[in-house]
Amino acid sequence: MSAAAASLREGDELPPVTITPDLAMAIRYCGLTWVFVPFFYDVEAARAQGMPGTLVPGPIKLGLIERVIEEWLGDGGFVRHVRAAHRRPDITGRPITIHGRVARVFEEDGKRRADLEIIIQNVQGEPSVRGFATIEFFA
Amino acid sequence: MPESSLITDDVRSLVGTATAPVRAQLSRRAVERAMDTFLGMRHPPAPEEGQRAPGYALAALEPEPERVELPNLMPNSLLISNEWQFERPLVVGEEISMVTRISDINERFGGRFGYSIYFRSDVEFSDASGALVARSVRTMMQYDAADAREGGEE
Repeated sequence: MSAAAASLREGDELPPVTITPDLAMAIRYCGLTWVFVPFFYDVEAARAQGMPGTLVPGPIKLGLIERVIEEWLGDGGFVRHVRAAHRRPDITGRPITIHGRVARVFEEDGKRRADLEIIIQNVQGEPSVRGFATIEFFA
Repeated sequence: MPESSLITDDVRSLVGTATAPVRAQLSRRAVERAMDTFLGMRHPPAPEEGQRAPGYALAALEPEPERVELPNLMPNSLLISNEWQFERPLVVGEEISMVTRISDINERFGGRFGYSIYFRSDVEFSDASGALVARSVRTMMQYDAADAREGGEE
C-alpha cells in the first residue's frame, strides 16, 4: 500500500492521473468485450453523429478509474465498488484526468474501508464522469 | 414526445428476467488482454494462475454471459452509468458463472433528453462454490434525440 493510502484521512486528495485513451485503446476494448459500436472505431460514423472524432467507450472510463485506484492502493487493499455516471462524451486522442478525494473513512463488517469521490475531467476542465468508489484495506 | 408512459405491462414484466448461467474461466490470457486494453501494450507480465487479478479484468468476462434483449421503445440510446461491485478480488484462473438480469425499468418525463426510459441490467459473477464474487451494473437510457436539448451536464 502506498504511504498515502495507509494514512488516509477524509478530505485527502488522490494524486491526479492524466491518461490519453486513444483509438487503439478503444479498438482493444471493443475486441475485449466484443461490443462493436461504429462510433467507437469509425471516425466517419462518429462525425455522422455530430462528434469531432471517435468516442471513448464509457466503460473504458470505469476500468481506468478502477485501474488508477488499484495502482494507488497497491497490495494494501482492493476496490469494492466503483461507479461512473457518464456526463459528457470524451473523444479519443484527448487527455482526460482522473481526480479522487476521500469522502469518508469507516469501519464496516470488521474491515477498514473508505469512500472516494471521483471526477474525470476533460481538457476543458469539464467533468465527463462523476463517480465514486469504495475501497477496502486488507487487514 | 409521448404523452403517456411507454412502459406497458409487457415491458414491466421484463424486470427480473434472467438468463441461464454461463460458465467461463478468467484465464491468464483473458487477464493479459484486459491489461493490454487498460494499461496499453507495454505492461508488466500478467499475474500467474492463483494470484490476484486486477479488478478491471472483469471486462474480459463481459462478452461471456447471455444478454437479455431490451425492447427498442425510443429511437436513440445512451449509456448513463456503469459500475462494478466486488465481494473479493478476482483470482487468475478461477471459473466464474454469470447470470444477466434486468433489474429495473423506469422513465422520466422532461429534462434535457425529454421523455426517456431507463433500463438497468446486472450481471452477477459467482465462483465455483456459488458465492457471489462481483456484480456489473449498467443503466442504458432510451430517448428521442429530436426532443433533446443541447449542452451541459444531465
